[in-house]
Order: sequence, then C-alpha cells, then structure tokens
Amino acid sequence: MSRRAKIGLGVLGGMLAVVVVLGVVFGKEPMNNSYQPQNEFKLDAWVSLHVGSLDLSINKAVLYLFLAAGLTVATMIYIANRMSARPNRVQTAVEAIYGLMKDNIAGPNNIDRATSTRWFPFIGALFLFIWYSNILGYIPLPVNSGETFRVFGVNVPAFQIFAATANISVTLMLTLLVWFAYHIEGIRAKGFVGYLKSWLPPGLDNVPLRVLMIPFIFSIEVISQFVRIISLSVRLFANILAGHLLILFMGGGLVVLLGLAALGVFTLPLAIAFFLFELVLICTLQAFIFATLTAIYLGGAVAESH
Amino acid sequence: MHSLIAAASATAETAKSIKAIALGVGAGLGTIGPGVGVGYIFGKVIEAVTRQPEMRDEITSIQWLGFALTEAIVFYAFIFGLIAFFLG
Repeated sequence: MSRRAKIGLGVLGGMLAVVVVLGVVFGKEPMNNSYQPQNEFKLDAWVSLHVGSLDLSINKAVLYLFLAAGLTVATMIYIANRMSARPNRVQTAVEAIYGLMKDNIAGPNNIDRATSTRWFPFIGALFLFIWYSNILGYIPLPVNSGETFRVFGVNVPAFQIFAATANISVTLMLTLLVWFAYHIEGIRAKGFVGYLKSWLPPGLDNVPLRVLMIPFIFSIEVISQFVRIISLSVRLFANILAGHLLILFMGGGLVVLLGLAALGVFTLPLAIAFFLFELVLICTLQAFIFATLTAIYLGGAVAESH
Repeated sequence: MHSLIAAASATAETAKSIKAIALGVGAGLGTIGPGVGVGYIFGKVIEAVTRQPEMRDEITSIQWLGFALTEAIVFYAFIFGLIAFFLG
C-alpha cells in the first residue's frame, strides 16, 4: 500500500471514530425549531432613519457598503500616491489588476477604444468595489446584532459572514446604474431612433413578411433588454447568497437544525472547501463578470452594427 | 373545535413539507442543465487548448466568462425556489 493511501485511510478512519464518539455521546437530539437560518441575512435597523415613506435606516448591509467603498478608495489612493519606478510587491499586484481591467474587462474585444477611454473609470471602480465587497463578505466580523455573547461584561455581537452583495437591493441598484448608463450612452452616440433601430439585427431588409417580422423581433429585443436587469443583478446576488448559505449550512447550520452532532464531521470539511472555492474563485469571478458585462453592454450600445 | 385547529395546523405543516420538497426538487432539476453546460464548456476548452496551445490565455478568459454565465443559472432556479418557499 502506498504512503498516500495509508494517510487517506488513516484520515477516514479517524473521521469515522469521531463520528462514532459524537454519535454515542450526543446521539440524536430533536429537531431544533427555534434556530432560524434566514435570520443571518435579516437587516436590523441600527440607526433608524425615515424620510417620508423611505426607509434609510443604517443596518448591516449599509455598514458593509461603506466599508467596501471606503476601503476601495483608501487603498487605491494610497497605492497610487506612492507609486515608484521600482515597484514593490503590492504595486506589482495592483498593476496586474489594472492590466486586467484595462486589457481584458474594458479591452478591445468588449468595447471600442473611445468608449473604453471614457468609461474605464466607471468600469474599473465597479470591478474593484464589487470585488472588495465580495471579499469583505468572507471575513467574519462582529455584526450579528440578533445574537450576542458576553466579553468582560460587554455584549458583543456574534461574529458572522455577511456581504453587501448578498442583498438584492445593492446589486439591483448597481445594475440599474449600468442599465441607464449604457442606454444613455447609446442614445448619445446614435440618437434616440437610431439607437432603437440598432437593436434590430442586420439583414432584415430582404426577409419575407417584413412588416410582421420587424415588430416581432423588435419586441423580443425589448424584452431581452429588460431581462438584462434581472440577469445581471440576480447573478451576482444569488452567487454570493448561495455561497454564504452553503458555508452557513455546512459550517454548523445543518448540525444545529437537525440536532445531529455526528454529521458535523462530514459537513465541516465541506464548509472549508466551499469557503476556499468561494474566496479564491467565485468572488473574483463575479466581480469580473459584472464589470465585463458592463463593458460589453456599453460597447454594444455604441457599436455601429448590432 | 380542538380537532379543527389540529386539522388546520396539520394542513399547514403538510403544505410546508410539500413546499420544502418542491424547493428541493426544483433546485435539483435546475442544476441539471447548468451541470451539462459547465461540463461542456470545460470539455471544449480542453479540446481547444490541446489543438492550439498558443491561444491558451485568450481561451482562458472566455472560459471563465462562459463558466460564470452558465453557473449562474443554477442560482436562478434556487432563488426562485426560495422565493416560492418563503413568499408563496
């Protein structure tokens, strides 16, 4: 038997032993009905602010938004101010990210050069902001005001992971910003009627039943423009939410809900694997996708042919 | 009267269980298509890179775009399942 197989068998045997011990000691407790997993995403108003019927209360998501925005601005300005001809490691990394944004996200494949120059600050800021708020979402912070624990007589909110982008309002607002931006850019480039005409695919002049086909295709294009709002916002929101839910359930939620301590032996390694997967791949990828699609939409709105 | 309340709570429990099953089945079915799609994307990427290794960088960036666009469809199913579960 090879060494690797021995180690694997040893780990498996150890896990099984822990399962047996936990199963014997704790057994099966009844289903836990008081634990509400959705409360992890509940937004308690910390500072109540109401303007008319608008609810502008400061809550967890607002804190995360401010944190992400502040960190993005602060780190980027700090690094930009101490740029030198002989870059250190941090500057090299930031320059690599800048290169990714410049050549890939707002690159010539997605968007033409003039529009790219005009909109690059927006696209880059969008990428960095979403990236920062996604990464912040995987750092445990004491923000769970529903659950507290006591340290030296002070009630400290429980640590939890939460992301501003795991909230549909945030991603929907970013999406609407992008949506209006690219429509306005398209109308500015081609005029209102010209922009609407550019939604139609080329080569419709010699299809049969033109009078019927053009309104039909145009209405499909209108629907697809509105579907972009849903797809762009829900993609980011649902990815981050589902990642957090997976980590929550695997990292203890299932065990608490079912009252089955032995199950944790299998779910905890899965939770760590999901955590790494989300942190390494998904949070960067979703920011990349959002910014890339913004660039593609902007480029498509000003491009000459459809 | 008591039996009436018991019957009402029993139907509420049953409705909740059926909703939970529906969420599970719906989310599970929703993973089939994107599962096939993600596999197809990576399979095609392997094929493309073995044919033209010099195009690797370009293919990699398109690969992640395709992966993320396809993978998101799982979550559409999941989120609409959750909406039906909690709000329906």
